[in-house]
Amino acid sequence: MPEFLEFRGVAKRFGAIQAVDDVSLEIRKGEFFSLLGPSGCGKTTMLRLAAGFEQPDAGRVFLDGRDITGLPPDKRKVNTIFQSYALFPHMTVRDNIGFGPAIARRPKAEIRTEVDRMLELIRMADQADKKPGQLSGGQKQRVAVARALVNKPDVLLLDEPLAALDLKLRQKMLIELDLIHDQVGITFLYVTHDQAEAMSLSDRIAVMNGGRIEQVGAPAEIYESPRTSFVAAFIGDTNFLEGRVRSCLEADYCRLAIDGLPEVVSFNDKGLRPDQPIYLSVRPEKIHISHDRPEDKPKRNFVPGVVEDVIYLGSNTKYWVRAGGRRIQALRQHDRYFLDEKPIRWQDECWIWWHADDGFMLDHFRRDDEALLAAPPQRVGD
Amino acid sequence: MTTRPIREKLKRFGFGPVSRRRTEWLVSLPTVVWLSLFVVVPTLLVFVVAFRPANPYGGIGRGWTLETLRGLAAPGLLTIAWRTLWMSLLTTVISLLLALPAGYTIARAPARWRNRLLLLVIIPFWTSFLVRVFAWKALLHPEGPVKRALAALGLVGPQATLLYHPAAVVLVMVYTFLPFTILPIYAAAEKFDFRLIEAARDLGASPFRAFRKVFLPGIRAGVVTAVLVVFVPSLGSYIIPDLVGGPSGEMIGNKIAQRVFTDRNLPLASALSAVLVLAVLAPLAAILALQRKGKKSGIVIGEAP
Amino acid sequence: MKRSRFPIVVTVLVLAFLYLPILILVVNSFNPARFSGRWEGFSLVWYARLFQSPEIWQAVRNTLIIAVSVTAVSIVLGTMAAYALHRWAASRLQHVHYTMIYQPLVVPEILMGISLLMAFVAVGLPLGLFTIFLAHVTFCVSYVAMTVLGRLQDFDFSVIEAARDLGASPWQSTRRILLPMLMPGIVSGALLAFTLSVDDFVITFFVAGPGSTTLPLRIYSMIKYGAPPLINALSTLLLAVTLTAVLLSQRLANKKGQES
Repeated sequence: MPEFLEFRGVAKRFGAIQAVDDVSLEIRKGEFFSLLGPSGCGKTTMLRLAAGFEQPDAGRVFLDGRDITGLPPDKRKVNTIFQSYALFPHMTVRDNIGFGPAIARRPKAEIRTEVDRMLELIRMADQADKKPGQLSGGQKQRVAVARALVNKPDVLLLDEPLAALDLKLRQKMLIELDLIHDQVGITFLYVTHDQAEAMSLSDRIAVMNGGRIEQVGAPAEIYESPRTSFVAAFIGDTNFLEGRVRSCLEADYCRLAIDGLPEVVSFNDKGLRPDQPIYLSVRPEKIHISHDRPEDKPKRNFVPGVVEDVIYLGSNTKYWVRAGGRRIQALRQHDRYFLDEKPIRWQDECWIWWHADDGFMLDHFRRDDEALLAAPPQRVGD
Repeated sequence: MTTRPIREKLKRFGFGPVSRRRTEWLVSLPTVVWLSLFVVVPTLLVFVVAFRPANPYGGIGRGWTLETLRGLAAPGLLTIAWRTLWMSLLTTVISLLLALPAGYTIARAPARWRNRLLLLVIIPFWTSFLVRVFAWKALLHPEGPVKRALAALGLVGPQATLLYHPAAVVLVMVYTFLPFTILPIYAAAEKFDFRLIEAARDLGASPFRAFRKVFLPGIRAGVVTAVLVVFVPSLGSYIIPDLVGGPSGEMIGNKIAQRVFTDRNLPLASALSAVLVLAVLAPLAAILALQRKGKKSGIVIGEAP
Repeated sequence: MKRSRFPIVVTVLVLAFLYLPILILVVNSFNPARFSGRWEGFSLVWYARLFQSPEIWQAVRNTLIIAVSVTAVSIVLGTMAAYALHRWAASRLQHVHYTMIYQPLVVPEILMGISLLMAFVAVGLPLGLFTIFLAHVTFCVSYVAMTVLGRLQDFDFSVIEAARDLGASPWQSTRRILLPMLMPGIVSGALLAFTLSVDDFVITFFVAGPGSTTLPLRIYSMIKYGAPPLINALSTLLLAVTLTAVLLSQRLANKKGQES
């Protein structure tokens, strides 16, 4: 598929802050693409560069093969959904939606049918004459969507459009946005700090941090094979294990030496050689926990430990296990909690294990990213 | 690259390569130019003219002189300067004493009442200033109702005059400035968390003590603004002493006007004004510093409701 | 907990203090007696006299000419200034700008009057309606700017970006979005400017010339040189006009407030 919206080496600085730092990114036609990252990572600046509200200090922006870098917002065939919705408070819903076509001097009758069609799409035909002040948050959001879509933009830019809504409404709007995307077939560029939103909606995600892109890929790709410690820690939760390669095994496996743990076997798709340092990321739900010593199987890593903390969450339980001088987080899904499972409790001795295929070697590790992990509870006097 | 620092400096003042800067200048320029021409330059001119001799035709003569400034030391002028100061202070104190309970009451009133009370305070502000001064002149007139009432009660003799006295000036000044005092106090009190007073009372403070130790410090910014909006214009009062003050109630403003209209001595009028400018400059600087700090508190002098 | 009654009592007294003089003035305007001490029955004699006085009508005409032109110019300048002050609040230029705008609000009127007089004399501008117009715009701009600025404080600038995003040019987004949204602030600024211009005495007194007598100047000379009962009648009329205007604008503001 050819690239449709393309950033080529763009950079933007605000005072002392380098908001976007030499970013290149290609977004395909019709794609639902998300920019995901913590606040201040530069994702909103990327969106504003695409909209034309900001001009890059360096680099160029292309839309459908055309260089749009210097164009003002009103000359670009992209439209934005603002976080605050930015509806015009002195106009009715109908006039808000009809604003773009009216500015474009389209015939009155045509505007009317177009607006009616949009009102139908967002199921608000009966609210057409209300002012934004009389609408609920979800309705405002839908009007904002309609006001942008009525112009048939090449790309729709969405700046945290669900951030102002409460949880239930957010889930409802999430499904609605997905449906609208399927119906109109326009390219969506979606900015969010909420990984669940990005995961559930996107065809592809770019994870941003500190003005740079850490990884681009489909949601499953990003979750299952994070390339950097930031991606691994920002999306979902994980355990970082650092050590070095002891020896290589046949068929892309290797043995790892990790401080305090017995020898660990891991998948080695990176072609690492003995003695190279490694950083392993293992997701908590991939780590099993039980009272009894697990069966010895090839490619299974197991470690004895003591349960230090337990958080019961209903559908599952989080455990922090002290093993070999480190705390490892494990997650357990429940079937019949009391009958079959013999609940594992605080201070119990236990075993944890994971399969060699479930550990993932990182290309890049930063100590700071450990701060993003769900903090293990610290006890007084610990 | 010697041009670098200069360009940086210009940038900070809004000259820059970006077109946004040009827009800022275009939008700001009309008022900046207008106010430079009609506020900044004339104010500076006042200081300049103070050093020029008067000419016999009531204009401004050639050359430079310190004669006018020496004329300021005349004993009569010093008396008036002193009187201006204490009358302004007295006006400020009385206005504040009345405005504090009023602002407090309005801020604590139920929402329906609050707006009505506020409107009642604001209406006099919208009515003609001269009319309000005149109303008092009529009231205090020897044949007026106040004098007759007081005489009937035996409080004043039949020959007493209520008009043309410093007290009359202070009374009318309080009357005209009171709404301006109440508004900033109210604005600050409205944002005050009154549960703090309840907490103080709960901890054993008397109502007055809670008012003084908790409420007053809480609305300090409003009080400071209120003090300045009364004190500064009081210093420059002119019509009130002119209409109800008589010779014993004259203030600096009257002297300035007399130099302009009676003897047409513009340099002396300028010198007097320069003194007044310096006298109001100190509280003015304080007001600006406060406004910068507390821009969010929304206390803007003279802002419409 | 029982609240002290003292503040309420003071408030009532303050309101009585504010309104009693005005009330007595209004009552006296219907009193045919030459001095206001004795009530001699209801009469409209002073109103009749007022309507026969050509100087007053000339003064009203001058006042209105000035007030209307002053209002028109100062809402344009003041709105632009407020926009600049808000939009580029962090820039040095706006700090200077703010200080300049602020000055006329706090400097005693007499200082402004005399400094403007000096300036007009210095450049040889003949005193008259035009100099009054210049002086009035100078202080009205500040009041309009402050009023509109208050309205801008909670203005969400993303609506302007939204308009640009939807294809509006800078001018279209100003005219169709910014100005309509600021309109309540501009209207109350205009009302304020108009009232201040109509009411100003001190500054006008300094910069007025022969033939440019405004209503406050006329009232002043009536107060100073006799004719108190006529002023009662004139004042009552002025009060009625301003009161209607204030109540109307208040009602308008309330209606607007309920809508949004």
